[in-house]
Amino acid sequence: MRKKAGFAIFIPMDIIPQLIVNSIIAGAIYSLVALGFNLIYGTAKFFDLGYGVLTAVGGYAVFYFSRTLGFDIYVSIVLGVLLAGLVGFVIEKIVYKKLRARKASSMVFMVAALGVMTTLQAIIAILFSSQFQVFPATISTQTFQIFGGVITGVQCIALVLSILIMFSLVLVLRFTKFGKAIKAVSDDAEVSKMVGIDTDTIISKVFFIGSAIAGLAGILVGFDTGIEPTMGFSLLLKGVIASIIGGVGNIYGGVLGSFLLGFIENFGIWKISGEWKDAISFSVLILFLLFRPNGILGKKL
Amino acid sequence: MDYFVHIAILIGIYSILALSLNLIVGYTGLLSITQAAFYGIGAYTTAILLTAFGMNFFLSIVVGMIITGILSLAIGYVLSKFDGDYFALGSFGFNIIVYSIFLNWQSLTRGPLGIPGISKPVLFGLDFSDNLIFLILVIVLAVGVYFISQFITRSSFGRVLKAIREDEKAIKVFGYNTLFFKLTIFVIGAMIASVAGSLFASYITYVDPTSFALSESIFILAIIILGGLANNKGAVLGAICLVILPEALRFVGFPSDIAAQMRQVTYGLILIVLMLYRPQGLLGEYKL
Repeated sequence: MRKKAGFAIFIPMDIIPQLIVNSIIAGAIYSLVALGFNLIYGTAKFFDLGYGVLTAVGGYAVFYFSRTLGFDIYVSIVLGVLLAGLVGFVIEKIVYKKLRARKASSMVFMVAALGVMTTLQAIIAILFSSQFQVFPATISTQTFQIFGGVITGVQCIALVLSILIMFSLVLVLRFTKFGKAIKAVSDDAEVSKMVGIDTDTIISKVFFIGSAIAGLAGILVGFDTGIEPTMGFSLLLKGVIASIIGGVGNIYGGVLGSFLLGFIENFGIWKISGEWKDAISFSVLILFLLFRPNGILGKKL
Repeated sequence: MDYFVHIAILIGIYSILALSLNLIVGYTGLLSITQAAFYGIGAYTTAILLTAFGMNFFLSIVVGMIITGILSLAIGYVLSKFDGDYFALGSFGFNIIVYSIFLNWQSLTRGPLGIPGISKPVLFGLDFSDNLIFLILVIVLAVGVYFISQFITRSSFGRVLKAIREDEKAIKVFGYNTLFFKLTIFVIGAMIASVAGSLFASYITYVDPTSFALSESIFILAIIILGGLANNKGAVLGAICLVILPEALRFVGFPSDIAAQMRQVTYGLILIVLMLYRPQGLLGEYKL
């Protein structure tokens, strides 16, 4: 029984460090998904709901390469990331590119993306069954103690990788020609076409990079807990919610939103119950859409 | 024979759902991906009222409609603050929230175990436990819903809905309170979906949360997009196609769990191909 003294709620101090650790880890994973999602949203300008399933593509690729084909786990990871990127790239080529050429409305894109999501998810389930699976090997078995909270080695790697990717993405966007082209396309695709930027190529590359990041997120989740065909969907939703909380199309906003969401979820279920996690995140989304639709860092439309 | 009756009942239930969603998506242009939530609320209302209180099935339909009406009014009001993509995303969110309520409010819904033993309807001594008689009930209700939809969409009210879909700002300038129209049709659509839910619960005699997940909303959306938006005949045609098509897959001889996934693949591909080559569907009068 939790005691309540006066109007101060009794807080068991020993859980707090663990909750903080869990929030940060969740935030790191979400921020990977949000980064890729924002990158794609920024250039292609639609909510790519099919994006989430690429996390499952990455996760299952590692599962297949390492377990069925017996590849080294690190080789499998690299192949998994590349495969996720490739699948995203191909989908862009055969579906979204044509829709873009036809100047389809954003709703058409969204419905097509729902189709992509449903199809890929079911194909994965057919190939690997819809059971929850774990990888045959792991990349770290260590656990660390931080101020009374436990963090596993896998989670540390996830955290470090997310931060690395975040920074490299920022550097690429800031200092390379490619990054500047991405920014130009995000700002105004028509004008960038006029000044000679090959927008289609840029968008294709962005899809590859974004999807590869999603694949990595899926792989990290696979090492942390395990994989199932529908995993991408909830990850995607978290990424989308985080992006909207932070400000859609804004990379820093997405990261900020992800960590915020991580904290809200983990501290929310501490008081309510684990099963309500998704409902909590969606309630947060709806509150944000109602009261601050541009997110924390979003520009005024 | 039993098998064909079963398929016909499913077609009837999905026609009702498709007609209800078509009012919202097709005629009013609100891309709502939450219809399965209202379908589920109707189903659970009937399930709980019949198993716990032994209420009459037809009364439970009415109670379900009232509950769905109130909830959809609240949900629709929140959603009315958004437009375009954000509307779709928000509606998505409500489906997830309602689904997790079905899943986690265990004292009411028994969570993932579901509610078994829902009785078949009885009215004035007429027992609907024979599937053929149940089919007649479904057909009567589906035809009723069809004519109600026709009536709504051909009335002056329906013309305002189409005007909102084409240009909401312009119709506002003419002094129409578009919020009222959007909310009304959202609630009507939700209440009709609730009827389908009650029928489903009583027919299958068992409900569990998975029948009302987001994928079900996407399925209903696929039906009306295939049949054609803003066309009531299209909604029924879509329901016929998408209920029969996966049955064909069953005869090809896939094991049942793979057949279920093949269905998903089919819906997904249909959505993609339609968006690429025929966004207005088979009989559609409106393109997304």
